[in-house]
Amino acid sequence: MLVCSCVLSGSFVTSLTASAGEPYDVYNYDRWGEAIPSQAGYIAERTVSGYDLGIGAFDTPNDIFYDHNDIFYIVDTNNNRIAAVNSDFDKVIEVYDKFTMPDGSKTSLKKPMGIYVSAENDYMYIADSENSRVLISDRDGNVISEITKPVSDVYDQKRTFLPQRVIADKAGNVYVVLNNITTGAAMFNPQGEFTGFYGANRVQPTAEIIGNYFTNLFISEEKKARRARNVPTGITSFDIDGDFIFTCTQSSTQTTDTVKKLNAAGNNIFANMELSFGDYTPMYDTSQNKILKPAICDIDIAEDGNINVLDFTTGRIFQYDEDCNLLFITGTIAKQVGGFDHAAALESRGDNLYVVDSQKDTVTIFAETDFGKIVHEATALHNAGYYEEALDPWYEVLKRDGNYRRAYIGVASALLRKGDYEGSMKYSKLADSPKIYNKAFEGYRMNYLKKNFGFMVLILIVIISVLVYIRKKLEKRRLAAEKARLDEQDQLAILDRQRRILEEAKILTENSNNDDEENGEEESGYDGFKTR
Amino acid sequence: MMDLKPAEWVRHAVYHPVEGFEDMRWKKSGSLKIAFLIVFLLFLAQIADGRLYGFQFGVAYDKTFNIIPYIVQSIVLFAAWVVGNWSVCTLLDGEGTMKNICIYSAYALIPYIVQIFINLILSHILIRDEAVFIQAISIIGTGWSAILLFSAIKSVHQYSFGKTIFAIILTIAAMFIMLFLLVLFMSLIQQVYIFISTIYTEISYRIRV
Repeated sequence: MLVCSCVLSGSFVTSLTASAGEPYDVYNYDRWGEAIPSQAGYIAERTVSGYDLGIGAFDTPNDIFYDHNDIFYIVDTNNNRIAAVNSDFDKVIEVYDKFTMPDGSKTSLKKPMGIYVSAENDYMYIADSENSRVLISDRDGNVISEITKPVSDVYDQKRTFLPQRVIADKAGNVYVVLNNITTGAAMFNPQGEFTGFYGANRVQPTAEIIGNYFTNLFISEEKKARRARNVPTGITSFDIDGDFIFTCTQSSTQTTDTVKKLNAAGNNIFANMELSFGDYTPMYDTSQNKILKPAICDIDIAEDGNINVLDFTTGRIFQYDEDCNLLFITGTIAKQVGGFDHAAALESRGDNLYVVDSQKDTVTIFAETDFGKIVHEATALHNAGYYEEALDPWYEVLKRDGNYRRAYIGVASALLRKGDYEGSMKYSKLADSPKIYNKAFEGYRMNYLKKNFGFMVLILIVIISVLVYIRKKLEKRRLAAEKARLDEQDQLAILDRQRRILEEAKILTENSNNDDEENGEEESGYDGFKTR
Repeated sequence: MMDLKPAEWVRHAVYHPVEGFEDMRWKKSGSLKIAFLIVFLLFLAQIADGRLYGFQFGVAYDKTFNIIPYIVQSIVLFAAWVVGNWSVCTLLDGEGTMKNICIYSAYALIPYIVQIFINLILSHILIRDEAVFIQAISIIGTGWSAILLFSAIKSVHQYSFGKTIFAIILTIAAMFIMLFLLVLFMSLIQQVYIFISTIYTEISYRIRV
């Protein structure tokens, strides 16, 4: 159906050819965490391969980075090189494969995995994985210094040192994500000295882990050493935004700490916010008969503060605003443009998203749609506190997608700020947001009372007086009825008494009659006697 | 003395938690019709509570409406209570008949139902900060009903205080057993139904071929 509509729109309006060209259904989540159809915020524009750039095919590229000089760096892992490409992705600026060491000797990369270019000192930080080092070089390929496996009590010497991702903060501290290290990112000071680990994940307290804890209390040390240990999954990737480092963790089992926002002290600001990243309800893949649990393999913080995360299992990019409200879901697992085979890394530049696929060996460029533009504008205004200014964009969003919940929340908040309580109540109901409704209702009730207080008091007085009147009336009627009943009783009693008196009288008279009869008999007897 | 109409008996029972049911028993009063009406009102109250509650206190999932949970929460639960209590107390020398248990228990539910309706109205007038009023009314209504129910069971079976508690605990256990058996029975029926329907499908395919 999508293809059909695409063809239709394409045949009628040429400018809309890309309007519905995604090889997947665009969706979003409603308040209940149920997937509903939505408008696309991003659309795949094109894919770029190494051939397109004229430097031969990429081989398993693993990272992409966009620096302050408007240059993209693609880490071409299996070709042991780093390609610097201009921002339009049509010209290669430089291919880094050989570096000059400070002593003049040449050195080459071996399976580089990540790159970071610092805006402070213009140095490239390269996670040179198989060489077990982090190479710090200027942009001409002259190595400034290198960080190797630290000699420290904190760093277990039996462990390898395989840098996967690297970033540096403003002060020049270097953070390195290492393969098979679960205690967090290794942290080095600007002099290259190891200073400890940063931002380890927590162990998720599942039933199994709690059970293991109790078992461990009773078993011997030898057995314990052979049992699987409860360690959290290590960090997969990270990005830095100002003073905060955002990490993501790719794990099929772990659901906590998949995305973290760490402050300088390494504390996770998202820890107690009950956030969920990736699909709410894991997708069930019928062809593989397995549940596709989200596994977030890369994270990127856009210039406007939006958080983009890349889900490896479903090939989807989830975009959140800075408060972690879901904005858009883009991408899929597919062969077409806009689909991925093995999504590896994600980067953003202005309105565009760039995703590296390490199986297709390409970079896919996503461009923001008109809808995405409006949503971003509204979200930015809303999050900055300009609710009323965000009102018009939100209305525009609703015109294009009546299911977009954030827009209802935005409109409800704006109307609440404006003092249009009734409108706010209406929209907060549509947004399923009792919180905003509560505030709007409070204002509405206040206004209502202010306007109608006199009237309500009047009504109340009328009602009370009517009730009192009715009550009195009823009381009177009851008393009258009581009186009537009593009277009746009295009457009955009188009648009863009369009847009894009569009966008594009757008995008396009967008795007297009998007496009379007896007397009569006697008399008659007497008579008889007399007559006799 | 105490010549009240059926409706007046309801009032008397609710307002006299200690002696009301004793009086009712003494006068052999109580109407089954009113009892059923009360249970029906409980059913309506549960639905109203679930669907018509003030929006500021939470959102009801309104994509679908399933009446079965409401029936189970009110009518089935009450029936299980009556049957469970009757079966337990018959063995414990209780004097109550099934009819009386049903009537007395239903009368005892009135404060709870009234509480639901009052709170329903309040939930459209109050805001979240004032939810304490709703809580208070809810606690009063539920507590009152609990005391009445206790008194009802005590009176209907002519039990002592301790024995009533014992009987109520056993009744709750009996209710669990009944519900468990019911679920077991239903799943069994379902299995049988699936079995029969499978055989039917199989046979119908064979016949067609």
